[in-house]
Amino acid sequence: MKFREHLGKKIMFFDGAMGSLLQARGLKTGEIPENWNMEHPEKVMEIHKEYLFSGCNVISANTFGANRFKCKNNAYTVEQLVTAGVKNVKTAMEEAKKQLLAEGKEPQEMYTALDIGSIGKLLKPLGELPFEEAYEVFKEIIIAGRNAGADLVLIETFSDCYEAKAAVLAAKENCDLPVVVTLIFDERGKLLTGGDVASVTAMLEGLGVDAIGFNCGLGPEQMLKLFPELTKCCSVPIVINPNAGLPIVINGQTCYNVEPEEFSNGMVQFVELGASAVGGCCGTTPAHLKMVVEKCKDLQISPVTDKNLTVVSSYNHAVYFTRKPLIIGERINPTGKSKFKQALRDHNMEYIYKEGLTQEEKGAHILDVNVGLPEIDEPKLMEEAVTGIQAIIDLPLQIDTSDPIAMERALRCYNGKPMLNSVNGKKESMEAVFPLAKKYGAVVVCLCLDEDGIPETVEGRLKVAQKIVDTAASYGIPKKNLVMDALVLTISTGKENANVTLETLRRIRYEMGIHTVLGVSNISFGLPERTKINTAFFTMAMHNGLSAGIINPSSEAMMSAYYSFNALIGEDDQCMEYIEKCQSQAIAQTTQNPAVQSAAANTQMSLEDAIIKGLADSASKATEALLEEKIDSLTIINEKLIPALDIVGKGFEEQKMFLPQLLMSAEAAKASFEAIKAVLSKQGKQSESKAKIVIATVKGDIHDIGKNIVKTLLENYGFNMIDLGKDVAPELILKTVQENNVKLVGLSALMTTTVVSMEETIKLLRKNQVDCKVMVGGAVLTQEYADMIGADFYSKDAMGSVRYANELYEKGELV
Amino acid sequence: MLLKKEDINRKEIYRYLGYKGQEPDETVKELIEEVLEQLLNAIEPRYLYKLYQCKIEEEDITFWHENTGECFTLQSKNLAYTLRGCKEAYLMAATLGIGADKLLQRYEVISMAKASASQACGAAVVEALCDKTQEEIRKLAEEKQCHIRPRFSPGYGDLRLETQKEIFKQLDCTRRIGITLTEDMLMYPTKSVTALIGLTDEKEECHTGKCKQCTNTECEFRDEV
Repeated sequence: MKFREHLGKKIMFFDGAMGSLLQARGLKTGEIPENWNMEHPEKVMEIHKEYLFSGCNVISANTFGANRFKCKNNAYTVEQLVTAGVKNVKTAMEEAKKQLLAEGKEPQEMYTALDIGSIGKLLKPLGELPFEEAYEVFKEIIIAGRNAGADLVLIETFSDCYEAKAAVLAAKENCDLPVVVTLIFDERGKLLTGGDVASVTAMLEGLGVDAIGFNCGLGPEQMLKLFPELTKCCSVPIVINPNAGLPIVINGQTCYNVEPEEFSNGMVQFVELGASAVGGCCGTTPAHLKMVVEKCKDLQISPVTDKNLTVVSSYNHAVYFTRKPLIIGERINPTGKSKFKQALRDHNMEYIYKEGLTQEEKGAHILDVNVGLPEIDEPKLMEEAVTGIQAIIDLPLQIDTSDPIAMERALRCYNGKPMLNSVNGKKESMEAVFPLAKKYGAVVVCLCLDEDGIPETVEGRLKVAQKIVDTAASYGIPKKNLVMDALVLTISTGKENANVTLETLRRIRYEMGIHTVLGVSNISFGLPERTKINTAFFTMAMHNGLSAGIINPSSEAMMSAYYSFNALIGEDDQCMEYIEKCQSQAIAQTTQNPAVQSAAANTQMSLEDAIIKGLADSASKATEALLEEKIDSLTIINEKLIPALDIVGKGFEEQKMFLPQLLMSAEAAKASFEAIKAVLSKQGKQSESKAKIVIATVKGDIHDIGKNIVKTLLENYGFNMIDLGKDVAPELILKTVQENNVKLVGLSALMTTTVVSMEETIKLLRKNQVDCKVMVGGAVLTQEYADMIGADFYSKDAMGSVRYANELYEKGELV
Repeated sequence: MLLKKEDINRKEIYRYLGYKGQEPDETVKELIEEVLEQLLNAIEPRYLYKLYQCKIEEEDITFWHENTGECFTLQSKNLAYTLRGCKEAYLMAATLGIGADKLLQRYEVISMAKASASQACGAAVVEALCDKTQEEIRKLAEEKQCHIRPRFSPGYGDLRLETQKEIFKQLDCTRRIGITLTEDMLMYPTKSVTALIGLTDEKEECHTGKCKQCTNTECEFRDEV
């Protein structure tokens, strides 16, 4: 019998702990257990055979930690350890079979698992390891395991879903073996990196793994409490490998004290509640597994059922499409937004992130991400935007692009089960999008249009919808992973347009049984006071089966319609959400009340005071007041803003003021600048900046708080900052300096080891005879060090860099 | 919640922000309190510790485990001094989890003032977590009529950062509480601490100021008080 034919049809048994049994045979703490595959194969095989004689089907090769990081400076390579590990299992199986037959017993089905554990490094952006490097680490192990003849890949003991994604992709792209993934959750059902059971399951199912489950961390008793969370959302077979209880420390030694009897009783419950395969982890022994097999082998397992959920996820939570509609924030999109377009051209990622943060705060459930502009490298920017947004925002993302390369790069680096916008009924579109959607498990937005354009009738749109559903099915994409866009045309050009959309919605949702989505605001294109129409239409659409509206969550009217609708259809328990929303709106209105405002205006502080005290709102208001008095913006900047900043800067240098004050003043000054810019752009003018400065945290270093502080301050003094971010290659710095004819570069590094990159960057700039000055800063740097690596200036704190840049500017060396 | 606002030493936060004993003004204090509250909501503190026997010979300190016989040696004059007369020592590790780092990255987009406050608060909160861990260890020590010596971390004084490797191996920090170690001996999540705490029979009245013993006299955060 093949593993895939067995899994989910008939009870299957995994083996138990390996490490503690090796230790009992003499393995020392700190010794690499996988080396025993080469040095003491007989002892490793002895353990495998004990589990086989206990009746286990799946034997994990002793390859858990056989990765290139552990093998650095080791006597054996990854390939050697993995090959030997798999071979040991196979030999043990042959010998066990022979012995069982000799004893007149029928051997059970036996499968060799290539066992893959976590690398033990945190992935970027929170840690140091790039996603693709993690992928390469796993790929090496998987190729060796595949070549050695493993029957399945067991990815286990993971506590980060992003790392699990890298491992699953490596398995899927480099072998055809079944993939089983089990992760460690704590008692509250969370991974160490924050994921919950639902989000992890959504992602892994999307990636097409064969089975999902829990292992390690908890004993059967604690795992049983979490188990319903898994059974309710999981549509593939479930594997459960608990520890023999929670770890307890006796005399400084970690022990597990759940005995075989109690352990096996727990495992019976898992099988009765829906597990397809059971085994053990830390602290379990062949005796534990023997009793598990005895008690469970005649149990019928529950058939694996499709839970038929339409779900997307971020790294830490899942979002389900249900009767209660969802809000998809539409603001990360340059269409029709000149400021956004400019931000993309300037590579101003902060602008994009702020749009995301605002929408999250306003109640969006999913964020659409579109960064397409003809003149930019969309795949690169898309990857950067997705990576950057998911680092700071918890919401699932809807990847919105028509460029298949950008699409794949975003899907690949996405940490969860993404939404994908979009495919349509054109052959070309389906051929490009469906293979990607299938591979990465995305929920796809499907537009009801094809080669013949947008059908005018309901029937026409449904026909396209059906064609899309059928084609998706041929790629193995089920209906639950499709969300239909019934399409909205403005009522200003056709009086039936709304009716057609609403009826299409209703029939897709209730007759075809597919969830729906709409870009709601198109309905009012060309009409005055669009919000009025949009709001009414949004409510009608939700009533006709709209599952998710792509809207601007900052629109109070739209969100009010949304919360009212939920309360009306009974999807807002005791109207709590509605009430809460009303209260927060009321608070917002009082602060905007003209009476309150004018009272504040009477006691308004001067711009200088507001900046010195670090009060952004006051600074903004004071600036507006000055502008109203027709005071020229340059005068405001030069005679009020900059002198105030100088006072703070001087106070900082004299240690009379401190970093938080310096930064709060900087933020107040920024608010003032924003007010000036707003007025200038109304007059069709642009604010001028002094000169361009490139700033970066050097390659290998991801500590950028210092760099960001310097950037904030320099911006305040009117410099145009080109921020290249962190971990920046010397070549990119050189290229940016050359292309923009920049005369000053700021480099930051935290660690002694990355000061080397700083030196390399300076060398590269000098070698190419770039006419620019380099200033450096960071925790480990000193004047002496800075001189040694050839920097022009060493800044001991943030103000130092301001002084230096201003000096150069005044001397005319900065343009 | 394991850590509460009142557990956190504000003076430490101020010190990490560059204050040298001065009291921040009200606006800054408000900012710090807001950030601290957000931070305490965002973190998932975890810690662990393990007891070792130890023997000090000049600057070599050898640790071994009573039951397993695991053994390792560290070299450090400063640590040897801190552990003088100790026959036992705990290795400990504590972390705030990735929540603190995520919050910091978020603040870096919204406000650098908040970001710097968050960085300082994180440092003070992880210290508070170490204090809690140390308190548990102190109680265990008390049970056998022992007293504890001040905790000592790699990178401090002349105890090499490379010591982290050994501590990680001994405590299995990565698998147990999710702290990872880079080739450069940095820890992620960043708000993490490892330390050693010695046990002694003698009541040690003089717990010398943490900073005074450190050889890095140039450190800008050095607490001279």
